[in-house]
Amino acid sequence: MLKLKLEALGHPTPNDVALSNRKEFASTILWVEDQKIRLYTIEDREKLRNIDNPTMWEEGYMKYCADLNMPPLETQQEQLSWILSHAVRLEFLDDPAQFASINSKQDPTQSNGKQAHQKVQSIFDGKINVQDKAFVDGVRLLATKLDVPHHPNHLLQLEAVARVVHERLSPAAKGRQPILGTPFPFDTGNDVVSSNDPALDLPMRILRLLQIQSLRQLQTHINETIVAVQNITANPKTDTKLGKVGF
Amino acid sequence: MVVRPYNDELKYLEKVSDHCWRIKKGFQPNMNVEGCFYVNSRLERLMLEELKNSCRPGAVGGFLPGVKQIANVAALPGIVGRSIGLPDIHSGYGFAIGNMAAFDMDDPLSVVSPGGVGFDINCGVRLLRTNLYEKDVQPVKEQLAQSLFDHIPVGVGSKGIIPMNARDLEEALEMGMDWSLREGYVWAEDKEHCEEYGRMLNADPAKVSMRAKKRGLPQLGTLGAGNHYAEIQVVDEIYDKWSASKMGIEEKGQVVVMIHSGSRGFGHQVATDALVQMEKAMKRDKIETNDRQLACARINSVEGQDYLKAMAAAANFAWVNRSSMTFLTRQAFAKMFNTTPDDLDMHVIYDVSHNIAKVENHIVDGKERKLLVHRKGSTRAFPPHHPLIPVDYQLTGQPVLVGGTMGTCSYVLTGTEQGMHETFGSTCHGAGRALSRAKSRRNLDYKEVLDKLDQMGIAIRVASPKLVMEEAPESYKDVTDVVDTCHAAGISKKCIKMRPIAVIKG
Repeated sequence: MLKLKLEALGHPTPNDVALSNRKEFASTILWVEDQKIRLYTIEDREKLRNIDNPTMWEEGYMKYCADLNMPPLETQQEQLSWILSHAVRLEFLDDPAQFASINSKQDPTQSNGKQAHQKVQSIFDGKINVQDKAFVDGVRLLATKLDVPHHPNHLLQLEAVARVVHERLSPAAKGRQPILGTPFPFDTGNDVVSSNDPALDLPMRILRLLQIQSLRQLQTHINETIVAVQNITANPKTDTKLGKVGF
Repeated sequence: MVVRPYNDELKYLEKVSDHCWRIKKGFQPNMNVEGCFYVNSRLERLMLEELKNSCRPGAVGGFLPGVKQIANVAALPGIVGRSIGLPDIHSGYGFAIGNMAAFDMDDPLSVVSPGGVGFDINCGVRLLRTNLYEKDVQPVKEQLAQSLFDHIPVGVGSKGIIPMNARDLEEALEMGMDWSLREGYVWAEDKEHCEEYGRMLNADPAKVSMRAKKRGLPQLGTLGAGNHYAEIQVVDEIYDKWSASKMGIEEKGQVVVMIHSGSRGFGHQVATDALVQMEKAMKRDKIETNDRQLACARINSVEGQDYLKAMAAAANFAWVNRSSMTFLTRQAFAKMFNTTPDDLDMHVIYDVSHNIAKVENHIVDGKERKLLVHRKGSTRAFPPHHPLIPVDYQLTGQPVLVGGTMGTCSYVLTGTEQGMHETFGSTCHGAGRALSRAKSRRNLDYKEVLDKLDQMGIAIRVASPKLVMEEAPESYKDVTDVVDTCHAAGISKKCIKMRPIAVIKG
């Protein structure tokens, strides 16, 4: 995933970014800021430029993260991933028209964002301003408490929070019997995902499982409805007198 | 038909891999696309022998050999991809049985052909599982076979025991399995595990002749004759443990019930009526085919649309028919074991159609296209994650039920991605005839056939024993050869093998 983001940003060597090396991490951060994000003026980037002086650089980096409003992320990989996503987003917003042909109609983040906005607004009946800073902070805090990963759109994050609460914490979920049966190993199934990119394989399998889960819920609802109707209409009859075995 | 010496004919055939042959253009006149067929070494010999026999001077009459029929289908207007012969292919009316072909819906010249669906419209197989094991059933299998025989009327001219009037039939033709559900003959989960959810939405009973309805009415809920059967089977081998467990098959020895039946006289009449109409349409629209039996009409013509609507009604008839027999089977089992079908976990694993034409979307030359897919003696086999297969099988691929012949084994396969690319998501449907019915009657003795089954420990109930040799294993290709070829060619994957312990036949 990192590689894809680096490629999208036009990084000169997207294949060779070694995450284990702090120095290389530092130079990648500097490259992104220099080339793409440009949050600071050139003079203000001085501290970040001190790649060979770790104490100085770390200090600059701490401030940089805070200035970017980066959520608290633990690993170096998560941080880099977040910063790269941020950069990609800025790049996109610079000239959305350029990408219009790819995703003008169904750009997923945009349409999802709009949907989420409408959904949340309708729930709160317009009484709460969902863009209010206090609201945003509240969502972010809730998400941190429940270990929901960060998303730039806090409303989508709120949806994820709602899902976790519904699935795990609601009274109905607490009283639910654990699902019995033989577990199906989802990584050894008959389905081929993408043979050439293992980084895509796992997330795709997980997304497909989620899709299957929601389909199953839908189908169960359908079956329940059919059974409810059957209770009224069903009247199976047989009449053995009618039967005739042929020759 | 072009008549050439056998060696010249062979120049048009090319073996492209261990299990696949290519039929080049020119093998028959006016081929729009190439043909191909899937065989292993034994089936290949049968296939070529059939061609060789037809090349002998003076060989006239009877059906054309399967290879020639594949090539004739390749000459129909609007065909895309290839005309495909599956390993169980054998000569049939117009199209060989085991031939599938897809026609472009967006090409105004494309045709639909009743010969590409067959006379027994939506003939198919349904598999019910139970939570019983062989040890539970062995001691009572004779009684159980008798009980099934008493519940499910079989044989030519048999009549069903589910009371129906003309209005019920009209509704059933339009609603398919939804009718059975409404009347309470089947469970909601049965519909979920059925191709097309047991109902073709474009069915129009008004397009069906009175004669077909008259033939169909008393026959609903009957098994019929010919190769149709109901079998109690036990799981003999599990090749793919995870897929089997998704189907509720946990261990060897588990008992399942297979029902193989179709639309009886109703479908036959629908096909016959359509053929008459289509001959007229062919003259009017100047459609030329290599074989008179390949009567067809443009998909968008009145005749074409009328046939598709009537065919859909016949397909619905077949689903109601199999559903009624599911109900009767559940009753027979519940009575025998003094419990309820629910407690016996008698769920439908799946229900497949063998003889049908359906509108499907496929990728052809990198583009998605809407096709009318004819499958005659061929089963749909969609890969994992295809939107048209039930949610329970999204990870395994569509279950493909392959019924063997009387007394031999049957298989469950699953659909694969490769099959989707190569054969429009189609695979074999059964063993495939090797001897004609007449030849079987001449060569075999019915008493011997019955004795042999007895020796194998298979309980059998037959309505017309004197016709049983038509369906003897000797009359068919070896189903294991057929299934192994599909597995090796990658167009479907072996999952479960079953062997019969009791057979009910027409």
